[in-house]
Amino acid sequence: MQHTNNPGKGVRIRPIVTTLIVGIVIPITLFFGTAHMTERKYYIISLLVIIYAMLPFFIAFEKRRPKARELVIIAVLSALAIASRTAFFMVPQFKPMGAIVIISGVCLGAEGGFLVGAISAFISNMLFGQGPWTPWQMFGFGIMGLLAALLFKTGIFSAKRIPLSLFGSFLTYFVYGGIVNTGVLMMTNLPLSLSGLISVFTTSFMFDITHAAATGIFLFLIAEPMIEKLERIRTKYGLVE
Amino acid sequence: MRDTFSTLHPIIIFTYFIGVIAVSIITMHPILLILSLACSAVYSVYLNRLKTLKFFLFLLPVFLFITLINPLFNHTGNTILLYISGNPITLEALVYGLFSAVALLSVILWFSCYNVVMTTEKFIFLFERIIPSLSLIFSMILRLVPKYNQQIKIIGNAQKGIGRDPSRGSLSARIKNGLAILSILVTWSLENAISTSDSMRARGYGTGKRTSFARFRFDARDALILGAMLLLFATIIAGALGGLYTVNYFPVIKIDLVSPLSFLVYAAHTLLFLLPMLINIQEELKWRRLKSKI
Amino acid sequence: MAALEIKNLTFCYPTREIPALKDVSLSIDSGEFVVICGKSGSGKSTLLRHMKTVLTPHGKRSGNIFLDGRPLESYDLGAQAEIIGFVLQDPDSQIVTDKVWHELAFGLESLGTPPDAMRLRVAEMASFFGIENWFYRDVVELSGGQKQLLNLAAAMTVQPDILILDEPTAQLDPIAGQEFIDILGKINRELGTTVILSEHRLDQVFAICHRAIVMDTGRIVADDTPHKVGALMREGRNDMFFAMPAPVQIYAKVKNTLPCPLTIREGRLWLSRLLEDRQPIDRQPPQQKKDNHQDAREQMTVISMKNVWFRYEKGAPDVIKDLSLDIKEGELFCILGGNGTGKTTALSLMSRINKPYRGKILLYGKQLMKYSASELFDGLLGMLPQNPQALFVKNSVRLDLSEMLNEKIPKKEKEERIAKVAALTEIEDLLDAHPYDLSGGEQQRAALAKLLLQNPKILLLDEPTKGLDSFYKIKLADILKRLAAEGVTVVLVSHDIEFCARHATRCGLLFDGHIIAKSPPAEFFTGNSFYTTAANRMARHIFPEAVTNEDVIKLCNILITREKG
Repeated sequence: MQHTNNPGKGVRIRPIVTTLIVGIVIPITLFFGTAHMTERKYYIISLLVIIYAMLPFFIAFEKRRPKARELVIIAVLSALAIASRTAFFMVPQFKPMGAIVIISGVCLGAEGGFLVGAISAFISNMLFGQGPWTPWQMFGFGIMGLLAALLFKTGIFSAKRIPLSLFGSFLTYFVYGGIVNTGVLMMTNLPLSLSGLISVFTTSFMFDITHAAATGIFLFLIAEPMIEKLERIRTKYGLVE
Repeated sequence: MRDTFSTLHPIIIFTYFIGVIAVSIITMHPILLILSLACSAVYSVYLNRLKTLKFFLFLLPVFLFITLINPLFNHTGNTILLYISGNPITLEALVYGLFSAVALLSVILWFSCYNVVMTTEKFIFLFERIIPSLSLIFSMILRLVPKYNQQIKIIGNAQKGIGRDPSRGSLSARIKNGLAILSILVTWSLENAISTSDSMRARGYGTGKRTSFARFRFDARDALILGAMLLLFATIIAGALGGLYTVNYFPVIKIDLVSPLSFLVYAAHTLLFLLPMLINIQEELKWRRLKSKI
Repeated sequence: MAALEIKNLTFCYPTREIPALKDVSLSIDSGEFVVICGKSGSGKSTLLRHMKTVLTPHGKRSGNIFLDGRPLESYDLGAQAEIIGFVLQDPDSQIVTDKVWHELAFGLESLGTPPDAMRLRVAEMASFFGIENWFYRDVVELSGGQKQLLNLAAAMTVQPDILILDEPTAQLDPIAGQEFIDILGKINRELGTTVILSEHRLDQVFAICHRAIVMDTGRIVADDTPHKVGALMREGRNDMFFAMPAPVQIYAKVKNTLPCPLTIREGRLWLSRLLEDRQPIDRQPPQQKKDNHQDAREQMTVISMKNVWFRYEKGAPDVIKDLSLDIKEGELFCILGGNGTGKTTALSLMSRINKPYRGKILLYGKQLMKYSASELFDGLLGMLPQNPQALFVKNSVRLDLSEMLNEKIPKKEKEERIAKVAALTEIEDLLDAHPYDLSGGEQQRAALAKLLLQNPKILLLDEPTKGLDSFYKIKLADILKRLAAEGVTVVLVSHDIEFCARHATRCGLLFDGHIIAKSPPAEFFTGNSFYTTAANRMARHIFPEAVTNEDVIKLCNILITREKG
């Protein structure tokens, strides 16, 4: 698969800015936060960190005044991620959402991948009920899309079936699972420690592993045809750029 | 019964829920948390009726789990109740676990009210001015998801009509047929996306700065309620800055339950938490009065 | 000055060699109602899309387009969005947002209209189009007709001078289509908006438009008032003939010197004048069809439904009530009926997509439920859905067809079987194309080919003529007749009275959950006064038994020549 992403600066700078925010601004907030608050400080700070991390993507996207086709493609992929749950109503707990987010990252790049992930988690919660878990899920899926895009670009894995599905399962279990389980740790007010996190991971093992397996299997089965389909739209109508 | 609170301007509804949820997250003050839980439960039952009661049954084990898991991981605290495999279980950690559960439960209940009152339409209306492109994407997704669900049914029936039933057969056959549906849906949705983007451009999307349709209007009643709400928030913040939110569970539980300022702040919290119900009661009384005059 | 003027426009798509538009020149005055007709692929859409810069396809182009005397490209896109409204074919995919009110406001929002002005414009359009009652609804709850009306209203909120519509009624049922055209007439009459419309169904449009333009392979071959264009049909330009309103078709095949009728009313008057002093003909229904019917009676019963009842959910109302029906081998049985009468549901019962809660369905004398899945779908029954796109899985027609065949079949046999169905459905040249690059009619034939690979003895079709132009309808009918001749039993549900009247062996009217009348078309339609073909409505006062255009033409000519002889 060939990427026609022009090597313009705009494309490369955004991930750098993001890395800066993730790497510097957030730790600073963390530091000052812990020094000045008590009780539920970790919960509040972690929420702030998540919001900090997501804002630049949203702001950059808004500032850019995206074209109609960019909006459409993000909307379509997010809606597919949400609606595909219905297509597999007969196999419970086995949902292709993670797979579609990763494919979006591979095809649309870092920004697109993040947005499809975060937005589909948000709207999915809008439809099925928002809760304190919303920001964690948004961040989890967003980062999944983002990492898929970045690692794909650096060539760490390819869009071939097997590496893609292994990588997808890994992302789902450790990255998405890690973020969402940290959220659970925060929400239940357990002490923020490795043993606490491990205990949450253990409790939700079956749930997480099914999710990871679903992502892997779906990537194995639908990634290639779906990437092909997006490519066709790109070449025929210039819808994806 | 009608919920009058829902008829207020979205900005009030949104601020209100952000406020009550933030309060319930930030503080670990037992009285405030119990107030929050009680009021959110009342409002949730008012809005959702039986659904909330069923929801309680589902939340009960979560509640117990959080209460009990805390002392298992957190061994600080002076009052040791017993030892489990050599680790002390303390009263402080148990109480801390209990109120952590109360906090989480009240947040979930406030969200269950939010989900009814703050409809997607109101959310999009509110954010259209701040994040126009993302709000438009939200609206498009809300249009597409039900459409795709319909299409999934249509495709599923079409597949059944050629003998590929996604709800029958072995697991692998079901997955295979489900995948075929997904694959057809993906092609269909991507190809249709082109005419959606054509339609947007044909209607001038991207030609200049967008404005938005004023679906909701801010009236005098909204202003009055917003004012009252902000006053309550101000009292609460003053209380929080004055140290009311600071509670110590460890090493021993030490909470200032009664102080000159605290009653004012408790009152402010109660009023805030009950605001939607108070508005509903007031409306009900008004209608009764109107009826009796006739 | 002309509102819109096109001078010597030639256009060629990047991957094609033959231009899609050849030296097209055209001038449209302000306030005109112009209809552009021509069969699929004649360049109608391409021409319409050139009238708005954002929709213009990429490719090689020469020639000029002027809007109010200025080149179209010199207007910025915002100005164009304000002056030219555009409605596309598919009612569904051009809706952007989730709420009716939001969709109406979308154009105004994009153009940055101030909120107060926006409220007024939206309110105005909502009441003009009668949308107030569903103003706050979710788009997904609307019917197809309402959706297309919403698209039209949304285009009108910016108060365009010119309204362009690309086959807007192709996906609508006839009644919704008529309402849509009516409201277009109203917009043109009452707001003075210039309307440029491309259409397949001309019956109604011809009566209200000012000008008709006929296109063929990228050229304009006729451009005149509808009466004159109708009269032109006598002079051998036959490609468009079958798309014309029934009175025009009949007029063209009957020798006369009177002016060309366009509407049923004009047609009745024309016929009365034409046959003023002739003796009435002996009232014999057309012979040939009767014979067919008698043949059918002797043949084996293929589908038999006995007192079938069905509803979707336990608490829901019954959709099918006490439906009984026998269909014989080799029949082409058409089930007609309005919207929501349960036509599609009836088909879904025959194909076991849904199961009745009472009553029996037998196929070849055996209970439908007793067939195994492979017995039923591998060689006995196939169902063509309303939207053939619901069947395409692969990237090319060929791959899609071979996907249908069992993997174990040797490659050579696969190829042979594919070649056979491709020949039967006339898609040999399309095998390597992507299914979505085909036109509606081609997609349908490709989907049909997919079904035929299983050699079904029973073929069920749901609205197979939806969105097809007259040319493709004839092709479809030919294929179905060829299949029927091979002993395949065809059952189709349709809104398309003309198609059923012309091609069915028997028709049934589904009303209130069961089939009221079952008889050959000649009998079926002669009694009805509204639910019947245009030809029958036009000629009933003279030839009550004539159902199709051909019947009327034949009878007219017999009368005229007999009189002469």
